[in-house]
Amino acid sequence: MPLSLGELGGAALLLALAFSAWGLVGGAIGAIRRDPRLLTSARMAAFATFLAMTAAIAIMEVALLTDDFSVSYVADTSRVGSPLWVKVVTLWAALEGSLLLWGWLLSGYWALLASVAPNTPLRPWALTTMAGVQLFFVLVPALIAPPFLIVEPVPLDGPGPNPLLQNHWMMAVHPVLMYLGFVGLTVPFSYAMAALITKRPGSEWMASTRRWTLLGWGFLTAANVTGGWWSYEVLGWGGYWAWDPVENVAIMPWLTATAFVHSVQVQERRRMLKAWNLLLIVLTFSLTLLGTFLIRSGVVSSVHAFGDGPVGPYFLAFFVLVMFLSLSLLALRWDQVRDRADLDHPVSREGAFLGTNLLFLALTFAVLLGTLFPLIVEAVSGARVTVGAPFFDQATLPLWMGVLALMGIGPLLPWRRAPDQTLFRNLAWMTGAAVATAAVAAAVGMRGVYPLLTVALAAWNLASLALLLTGALAARLRARRQSVVQAVRRYAHENKRRFGSMIVHFGVVMMAVAIMASSAYRVDEQIRIDLGGSTEWYGYTLTAADRFMDATEARVRAGAVIDVHRDGRRVTTLTPTINVFAGQSMSVPTPDVLYRPLYDIYLNVAANIGPDQEFVVLRAVRSPLVTWIWVAGVVMAIGTVYALTPSAGAARETRTSKTEERAQA
Amino acid sequence: MKRFAYAVVGIGVLAFAGVLIQRALSDSLVYFILPSEYASEPHRYDERRIRLGGIVEPGTIAFDGDELVLAFDVTDSIETFAVRHRGTPPDLFQESTGVVIEGRFENGVFHSDNLLVKHSEVYEAPEDGTIDLEELKDALQ
Repeated sequence: MPLSLGELGGAALLLALAFSAWGLVGGAIGAIRRDPRLLTSARMAAFATFLAMTAAIAIMEVALLTDDFSVSYVADTSRVGSPLWVKVVTLWAALEGSLLLWGWLLSGYWALLASVAPNTPLRPWALTTMAGVQLFFVLVPALIAPPFLIVEPVPLDGPGPNPLLQNHWMMAVHPVLMYLGFVGLTVPFSYAMAALITKRPGSEWMASTRRWTLLGWGFLTAANVTGGWWSYEVLGWGGYWAWDPVENVAIMPWLTATAFVHSVQVQERRRMLKAWNLLLIVLTFSLTLLGTFLIRSGVVSSVHAFGDGPVGPYFLAFFVLVMFLSLSLLALRWDQVRDRADLDHPVSREGAFLGTNLLFLALTFAVLLGTLFPLIVEAVSGARVTVGAPFFDQATLPLWMGVLALMGIGPLLPWRRAPDQTLFRNLAWMTGAAVATAAVAAAVGMRGVYPLLTVALAAWNLASLALLLTGALAARLRARRQSVVQAVRRYAHENKRRFGSMIVHFGVVMMAVAIMASSAYRVDEQIRIDLGGSTEWYGYTLTAADRFMDATEARVRAGAVIDVHRDGRRVTTLTPTINVFAGQSMSVPTPDVLYRPLYDIYLNVAANIGPDQEFVVLRAVRSPLVTWIWVAGVVMAIGTVYALTPSAGAARETRTSKTEERAQA
Repeated sequence: MKRFAYAVVGIGVLAFAGVLIQRALSDSLVYFILPSEYASEPHRYDERRIRLGGIVEPGTIAFDGDELVLAFDVTDSIETFAVRHRGTPPDLFQESTGVVIEGRFENGVFHSDNLLVKHSEVYEAPEDGTIDLEELKDALQ
């Protein structure tokens, strides 16, 4: 009798379990005994684990695509009638599958690291740490939340994935980006552990993981932005960020990772902040585990329909284990990681970086506290409370403003030196730009401290970027006879990291302004339109032309047909819809959005549409500049990719080292 | 000396953040209570935004389609209060379902701007009429 897919998948996971266990044990023994044969064997375990995990993923996809309901995960989350793309992404539509995906991506990074990491004294322990993390992420799908259980008798059909997830293609992208970010930051964490174990807490570990760190940070950034866009397009309230626990646990590792990306530069340049950097990467990695525990165990309630599973306590235990091991290791090596050097002057590049770091840590703490506070209150007084979005806005806005202010100054300051003449000139320009912009904004009718402060700081940052660029170009233009365009291209080409960071910072400025405008000037109303009638709404005429109801095998939907006119000309037709997916009781909205550079018109069906009802009720949201949030996300991604591409100098280095290798061979 | 100065600055920043957080928290805690809990100490919740949980009393639902105001009574079988919700009845809103509404009490009427239907965990009152409030609260949470 041929083996079933469930048995094959379970077997693949058991193989992965054995291989990653060998990666951990063999790697550790090999590293202690400095046995190159053992180390090579443990390194091979990375490839073997990756192959086994790939097999498990492939088997699950085959099971999903062939509707094999004898596999428990398929029976619980898939449906015969779902479209092909939904079946493919159903792999990460529920707990068991998404943890399997996490494990697979991790094994991919581990294998990649095992093949490309240069043979340094850090490599054995870094790979061993990766193996340890991998072991946990194989244990979970293999034993704790198994997706490959065999269902008897085999059901004919399943309920299909969570309707919120099958409602938008973004769901195919966002979770994968999130896991790529989480997994990417495991690499610097592993190298940090290796640095502590081998007593080499210099900047070697971060130099070898610079790319990985930036890559992980870039994926996390993209994941948070796509998550916001998904909320906007699917949840129907016209917003993109609600400070829901699920969002909070995704932003926390991003905050600490952002601090880390900046503070590693201080250590590279000034040999300072060794312990701080180690602590930050430990915190970043642990926060991904703590976050998974919080949202997967049901201890905090969330509007996102995340299934509770059995994995919560295990993630908590792993979080505690990771914290305990890494912090005791840090304490054990305290003599080596203590900073000998001191800040020469607080008004310096490293001073600004340190300030930003403190702000990011305070932000993390505020978000963590807001997320956990309901638990604390219930434990202490028994009262049930929720911490609303106003808390997060009040607590974090001043800190965000501080981040924006320092983001403008930091890159202009020289390392270690006290301020000089140029600094005051620069500051004068930036302050002038900020004050002038705020004055213009106030004159055209902008009110409120934060909106005005945000545009002022945006101008401050743009002035700073302009000064940085002109400062770098002036010397070039004087020295060589080039056109400005040529000079910019040359500069950008030769300073990829620096120029990439400028692009990212520009994206941050865009995003800050867009977030300010879309939240401070948001209009959110319920409007009722009689069928055939129309209503004026912020310069647009909305006409309820029709309503519709139809049913396919996969879903039943009802919606309104709204003609949108402006100045007598037809702009578009929006069809906000409500869907009920087959096999599910919950209805999910599909809002329809008129994307515009100045402001979006966002319509969502607000009340049931019945066949005998002669009107439609819509939730209409007008949020200025909201589109620029997504554009800013793309700009930040482009900047990150640009910083990641090898610069001309680095490429030459690798080429020479390759030639040397060849010469040695 | 320098180190000391940095420590002072660092602690200053953290203290500032602490104050911000503390003030924000005291302003924006939203209590989740049942009608009887409100009735026992109304002054405690009168000025605050709260989340009120309960069951929709049968026969009290009225929807004004022109003004878009939904009126109904919410009860936990001990106390009952009138609710005015700005908005339309959501999907699955009906008599005897569990709801959580967010808003404020004004003159004994709860004015809500957010209404959640807890359809999957409808609380069924036992036959003998005794109702376990904690159990109801858990079901609605």
